Amino acid sequence: MSGPSAAMRTREEVDATLQIAKLNPAELLPTVHCLRFGPGASGAAGGDFCLLELEPALCQQLEAGHSLVIRGDKEEQAVLCSKDKTYDLKIADTSNMLLFIPGCKTPDQLKMEETQPDIVHPEIFGFSNNYWELRRCRPKLKKLRKLLMENTYEGPDSQKEEDSNCSKYTTEDLLEQIQASQEEIMTQLEVLNACVIGGYWRILDFDYEMKLLNHVTQLVDSESWSFNKVPLNICLQELGPLEPEEMIEHCLKCYGKKYVDEGEIYFELNEDKICRATAQMLLQNAVKFNLAEFQEVWQQSVPEGMTTRLDQLKGLALVDRNSRPEIIFLLKVDDLPEGNQERFNSLFSLRERWTEEDIAPYIQDLCGEKQTIGALLTKYSRSSMQNGVKVYNSRRLIS
Amino acid sequence: MVQIVISSPGAGGLAEWVLMELQGEIEARYSTGLAGNHLGDLHYTTEGTPVLIVGHHILYGKIVHLEKPFVVLVKHTPGEKDCDELGGETGTRYLVTALIKNKILFKTRPKPIITNVPKKV
Repeated sequence: MSGPSAAMRTREEVDATLQIAKLNPAELLPTVHCLRFGPGASGAAGGDFCLLELEPALCQQLEAGHSLVIRGDKEEQAVLCSKDKTYDLKIADTSNMLLFIPGCKTPDQLKMEETQPDIVHPEIFGFSNNYWELRRCRPKLKKLRKLLMENTYEGPDSQKEEDSNCSKYTTEDLLEQIQASQEEIMTQLEVLNACVIGGYWRILDFDYEMKLLNHVTQLVDSESWSFNKVPLNICLQELGPLEPEEMIEHCLKCYGKKYVDEGEIYFELNEDKICRATAQMLLQNAVKFNLAEFQEVWQQSVPEGMTTRLDQLKGLALVDRNSRPEIIFLLKVDDLPEGNQERFNSLFSLRERWTEEDIAPYIQDLCGEKQTIGALLTKYSRSSMQNGVKVYNSRRLIS
Repeated sequence: MVQIVISSPGAGGLAEWVLMELQGEIEARYSTGLAGNHLGDLHYTTEGTPVLIVGHHILYGKIVHLEKPFVVLVKHTPGEKDCDELGGETGTRYLVTALIKNKILFKTRPKPIITNVPKKV
């Protein structure tokens, strides 16, 4: 129809074409878009540009000027992160050709204009037969704990703190290593009871963390304070000589909730968290415990006035009610594999059959945005009835 | 691990483009390629139906408002000027260049335009 770098079509030429095509101009809007390929128009296959499909919320973020970041190692599947969510990034192929056209209006847009031009000459920017597709996924946070466990904080006097070769990570360092959004990383750091020491994120060595907690609970006991009203300033005053003030305050934040009353800062201690930590301290010293003995020792070990309950130990310890005597042992969900299939394999290697109640705490974190425990169990396990109770076991043979 | 930033100028700096979806492939008539060539004339009926005349064909389509909008990302690979003070590269980036909220979809068979029908004398 026209040669390379053709001159722009005129309205007369357009009308002539309409006549040949036997289209009635009276049935058409006055504006014609004469589409041509721009001088630099090329295919997305060249890699200079691409199309990214977004959910409306993400689109709004970009319209507000926020950035997104793609994160991934060569061996990893790339993810895309907004400031608070993580998405799997995949390429979707279409069998059709997609053309990107600047300056082209839809009929609704044209009708909204005061004057409708009779001819427009948009230049096609490029074309593609695929686009980037996003699917919300769980942030890959297991690596975060792994990195921070390389060098746990054992207190200011520890030899480790003198050694500058020990690995330490700033927030920026973590963003460069973890496939997750910043907010997801920050939330997880809080879950891990991590804190910033000297500009670096650190996880406390568990024994050190318990040492700090014991200082606090013993002080509460000796001062006869209520667990709900632990004054910060007196804690710092009394315990300051023993440990750095920042560490005492950090401990109170991890195991309590801060509030202000008449201008003074207090902490409401969290009974469940303290009982749970105490249980971990007891359980980590042996492979397994006689359940009845454990429950007795555990109750005696927590601060007076606090009550222990087995449901405080979800995701931390597992009870075996089929053994004689009944036993309990440490099983931390953090120590289990991150991938769905690997997680189920590992759980079924530990125990052939699980009730939903027992397995739920160990698969809860695998649930995606709209996924339920039930859906996961259906996908990765087989159910059967045992003594009137529904149990789940592996779908496949495990060697 | 690699971090590639996708940066956006914000609504003020973002143009809105339109996506046109056609079946099959587009081939240039001439060996010089597509750049600079006409594709066709795009009309709309008064009811808002898109009509595209490409070569000897008419295509009727529809406007689809995209539930999931697209953005066009243009890759920016740093040159020597983009090194930061420490001499490290600022890395490949993508710039959000345009927003696409609507597409013009043509998926019916094109109708040929018959020209030069001899008239009865």
